Amino acid sequence: MKPVLLIAVNFAREQRWPILTLLLWVLLLAFLGLITDIHRDREDLLFVFKQDAVYVLAFSVFFGGSAIYNERRSRRILGVLSKAVGRQQYLSGLVLGVTIACAVYCFALGMTGSWTLGGAGFSIAHVWFLMISLLAACALAGTVALMFSTFLNPFFAAGATAIVLGFPALAGHILGRQWGYVIPVWELGATVINSSFDSPRAGSWFLVVLAGAETVIFWLLSARIFAYVDIAVAVE
Amino acid sequence: MRFVLEFDNVTKEYRSFASKRRLRALDSFSLAVEAGEIFGFLGPNGAGKSTAIHLAMGFMQPTSGNGRLLGEPFGHPGARRRVGFLAESVALYHRRAERLVRFYGALNGMGGAKLDQRAREVLEIVGLQDHANRNAGKFSRGMLQRVGLAQAMVNDPELLILDEPTSALDPLARVMVRELLLGARNDGKTIFLSSHLLSEVELVCDRVAMLHRGKLARLGRTADLLQAGEQTQIVARAITLSQFEGAASRDGVVSFSVPTHSQRAALEKVWNLGGEVISVNPVRRTLEEIFLEVTSEPQPPLSKGAQ
Repeated sequence: MKPVLLIAVNFAREQRWPILTLLLWVLLLAFLGLITDIHRDREDLLFVFKQDAVYVLAFSVFFGGSAIYNERRSRRILGVLSKAVGRQQYLSGLVLGVTIACAVYCFALGMTGSWTLGGAGFSIAHVWFLMISLLAACALAGTVALMFSTFLNPFFAAGATAIVLGFPALAGHILGRQWGYVIPVWELGATVINSSFDSPRAGSWFLVVLAGAETVIFWLLSARIFAYVDIAVAVE
Repeated sequence: MRFVLEFDNVTKEYRSFASKRRLRALDSFSLAVEAGEIFGFLGPNGAGKSTAIHLAMGFMQPTSGNGRLLGEPFGHPGARRRVGFLAESVALYHRRAERLVRFYGALNGMGGAKLDQRAREVLEIVGLQDHANRNAGKFSRGMLQRVGLAQAMVNDPELLILDEPTSALDPLARVMVRELLLGARNDGKTIFLSSHLLSEVELVCDRVAMLHRGKLARLGRTADLLQAGEQTQIVARAITLSQFEGAASRDGVVSFSVPTHSQRAALEKVWNLGGEVISVNPVRRTLEEIFLEVTSEPQPPLSKGAQ
């Protein structure tokens, strides 16, 4: 477990500048929100909150899809995997690292959402439920991207991830909502997007648990694939 | 005799997905490294040295064949815990040198005060004790290589696998690494050293393997390889050039070389011709000569489908 934590913290540390930029963006928007008339502009505040929430989903795919590529290109992966670290542990560290990076953002968004939306009458408990839903979606999206990045370059990995995550959403739209639960990233994202002051309790813990379970499945699948991948060759 | 690193008929092919071509980097490669020796692993660029090392470390899978690292199959994390590895072109995270060494030690399961002390020790061994709190991202290539060596030694490994450990070092630092390797051998450790610096290899290695186009071209004790095909130089006067093949003359003194096993016959010939022998000296070969000889040898064509 120790190597997994070390790799995860190291990954988050390596991503500190993008994370910091995101945090500053969230804080800036929260500050702007606080200096407006919260009650009059509450719908605008909620819109900005949703917009910020959706960004992190894209960033989770970016973090997951580029993690292995960056480590291979810099050859730093050799230093890590030359130690007593198994490939599965290495991937676990990256999955945890992506989740930590997204969790930092979600936490900051939750805090600022609590100040602004909470002040405008939105349930603070629901703000945190939305953040947990978002984090579950990020962990799953990041893990799917990481799985594809074990054998594709980041560009194609992001494309493949978009297809895998988008297909259930499309099927859910055409064939019925239950199809959206197959890989529930879209459904979890929709929980955030569809939240409103009028129906603050919308959302399901089932989807959060399902996303957690699927994260484990995709993580195991990535570990299986990564075990057979040659890592010490030129990336391109 | 205990072997710490074994390759058993290992072949590694790289396949190009787009063109479907194959490049055979290692071809039926077998080798066994004994415990307690410094083993030199030589070959020109593209000979397959790094491929062999990366296979041993489990960074890639052999196409066929197998091998063992400290008694475990290649890629076993438990075996890597007892190995120190320094890659060619060291790439490290940008953080303070001491923290970096501690990070790599912790990945090997080390921790606490023991790790702190060991990190300071190895940084002192590589001469970076005064730079322990500097960010490795701002280090020169030579300093990075030293930090790389420090992280390879932090777990006090039984086997050190070093891929070009002195390529970026100045002469003083090279001497330091040489002494470090000899000291490690005296402590019972094994060193597997891949290098292009043949003079360094000649000085420290007990055995040497030369790889050429993925095949083992030479293997043996360094001393034996340098003696094999040994020549003796004979310097004499009062003889003529044409009487000895390959002879050269300067100021009436003729010198020529003959294989050591036929030096007696050559000397008798000089005396029979009325010549006077001035000196008889063994001519020692260098690894560089053997290296050039190996790389100029024609290679059999690669198997069908391989490029």
